[in-house]
Amino acid sequence: MSDPSSINGGSALAMVGKECIAIACDLRLGNQSLGLSNNFEKLFQFGDKTFLGLTGLATDVLTLSETFRFKNNLYELREERSIEPSTLANLVSSTLYEKRFGPYFVGPIVAGLNSKTNEPFICGFDSIGCIDFAKDFIVSGTASDQLYGMCESLYEPGLEPEDLFETISQALLNAVDRDALSGWGAVVYLVTKDKVTKRVLRTRQD
Amino acid sequence: MRTTVASEYSAEVHHVPIEHRFNPYSDNGGTVLGIAGEDFAVLAGDTRQVEGYSIHTRYQPKVFDVGDDIIMTANGFAADGVALIDRFRNQLKWYKFDHGGKKLNIKSAARYIQHLLYGKRFFPYYVHTIIAGLDEDGKGAVYSYDPVGSYEREQCRAGGAAASLIMPFLDNQVNFKNQYEPGTDGKKKKDLRYLKLEEVLELVRDAFSSATERHIYVGDGLELLIVTKEGVRTEYYPLKRD
Amino acid sequence: MNSIASQFTNNNNNIIRNEINSVTHEFAQQNSLNLVPSITLPPISQPTDFLRAHTDDETNPDCKIKIAHGTTTLAFRYQGGIIVAVDSRATAGNWIASQTVNKVIRINPFLLGTMAGGAADCQYWETWLGTQCRLHELREKERISVAAASKILGNLVYQYKGMGLSMGTMVCGYTKKEGPTIYYVDSDGTRLKGDLFCVGSGQTFAYGVLDSEYKWELTDEEALYLGKRSILAATHRDAYSGGSINLYHVTEKGWIYHGNHNVGDIFWDIKEQEKSFNNVDG
Repeated sequence: MSDPSSINGGSALAMVGKECIAIACDLRLGNQSLGLSNNFEKLFQFGDKTFLGLTGLATDVLTLSETFRFKNNLYELREERSIEPSTLANLVSSTLYEKRFGPYFVGPIVAGLNSKTNEPFICGFDSIGCIDFAKDFIVSGTASDQLYGMCESLYEPGLEPEDLFETISQALLNAVDRDALSGWGAVVYLVTKDKVTKRVLRTRQD
Repeated sequence: MRTTVASEYSAEVHHVPIEHRFNPYSDNGGTVLGIAGEDFAVLAGDTRQVEGYSIHTRYQPKVFDVGDDIIMTANGFAADGVALIDRFRNQLKWYKFDHGGKKLNIKSAARYIQHLLYGKRFFPYYVHTIIAGLDEDGKGAVYSYDPVGSYEREQCRAGGAAASLIMPFLDNQVNFKNQYEPGTDGKKKKDLRYLKLEEVLELVRDAFSSATERHIYVGDGLELLIVTKEGVRTEYYPLKRD
Repeated sequence: MNSIASQFTNNNNNIIRNEINSVTHEFAQQNSLNLVPSITLPPISQPTDFLRAHTDDETNPDCKIKIAHGTTTLAFRYQGGIIVAVDSRATAGNWIASQTVNKVIRINPFLLGTMAGGAADCQYWETWLGTQCRLHELREKERISVAAASKILGNLVYQYKGMGLSMGTMVCGYTKKEGPTIYYVDSDGTRLKGDLFCVGSGQTFAYGVLDSEYKWELTDEEALYLGKRSILAATHRDAYSGGSINLYHVTEKGWIYHGNHNVGDIFWDIKEQEKSFNNVDG
């Protein structure tokens, strides 16, 4: 299998709750069957309440995360405020489309709360920047099929933060346990209007 | 060597050899699911049959009562599935002729199906086979196979197009994977228990409506067969037809 | 085109098929292998290419029939007999098809066979080997030797060489005249007697642990633990190994099953107890 997007493995997902969002990913980085790192986070924070998840080819994940850090810094200097989730989404989209004919092999997702209204926002992208706006959940990575199955059956709208955490954790954990290239630890970020909590999940190590 | 696929323009002059390939397989989609309970077993399948992006029919049952309280499905390439099930039915009939109507227990049926599948090891049936029934102790049993006959008895198994969507859900809800007792800080696992028939039916319907939502090869109808000591009965629920 | 048409109109022209049929016949007459079943071949000139095109996911990643692969198995001889340890994961591509596969086949109370490679090939031919061993017992009024049992399997897979069988197996057993014995048999036809083997996608990881701790003088308890620990290391690093560990001990009294150990649980116990796996947090 020389498909670039499934060499390193890894998965991520985001969910909308009642005045909150959650975004989660696994921690594996591998070279095909060989596990290399169990500390490879695929989520990156922008401002207070906005997150970007990047799955796919690890080199592109790192390159893009730095590109977006750079672009976000320029944005914050020029605008003197932190970026909105929807703005980040458009930034991701246009950045990816610049490489229309030689794309980055990534599956990005964006999740966050609007800085003024605290309205939840999530979306996903294909590798060349087509935005998929969703109001419930977004999945990405080598376990995406499994995540679709889990989310579609466990998710319900309007969950309170703690219930949302339980739902997203169960969805991620059970999905990556059926994927050889994902797993090896997981993290969940729970974003409410006044705080962000990070939780590391204890997972199977095989 | 360069080759090209045969085209309809037979008069066309070709400068490279035409490649003909024997391709006897196609994928007719659909998904199936079997769960064993304490004193029952269910096998369910959607009723949509497809090829490519076309829907051939919205109602083509693929889970069958093959006799002796055994239910069977072979999902994947429909022609191979039908051929396999017909062959098994036929052999079961001969078994009865030869052994004075003796009931074939599910363990033996399972082994026999392995031989049917492995008998075509070099020209496989392109199917994921599942059978369900009751074992010698009256407990629910589900056996599942790969296309060439490796098999295993399990508590539950999803097969076919949306297996990857349904199976993790079943791990979570039937075998309670990744579930812990509240307040034990992940130290104590949730105890395993047999699910009641009503609970199982609820799970099956949830699994299929979720799969229907996200998989284009799944939908239209859900037909499920239930084996209890009273025999086999069938239920049907509509699924989304889009 | 004509060659395809002729295959359909007259099956007797199929040279390969005739060859296979005659080989099958030849063996059907010998009572030692009279249970070799006939296996259908596709009605074309190159059945092996056909099979590869449709089932080999390495040459053709979007082939339709995915055959389960990926495993770690090990067996070693020591002072107290033989230890056999295996994982229980079955994968089809990156999809984990099962975490509960039984990769040790109990051929009879004194013989074990391990499974790596094609799940169906191993399961089918090792149960077939079981019937052959029983027939040997009935004919010779004596239990079959490990050498003979492994050779029946070795000869069988050699008959099918080049046809696409995929198996890497260890036949482990005890007989009076041989003592505890391990034979490695694979689908290329290799058959080796040895003291220590690891087979499968995670074999290197298992060798790493096993070689560093192995010695002939191991006690039973130490040996069982080493077998388990080696597989655990492999399940950790190899994506295609995992699930749970099945442990066996073979002695002059036959094999003894030492349980099923879920990797999800024992990993943390062993990490805490040994203060090992320091690459993992928690």
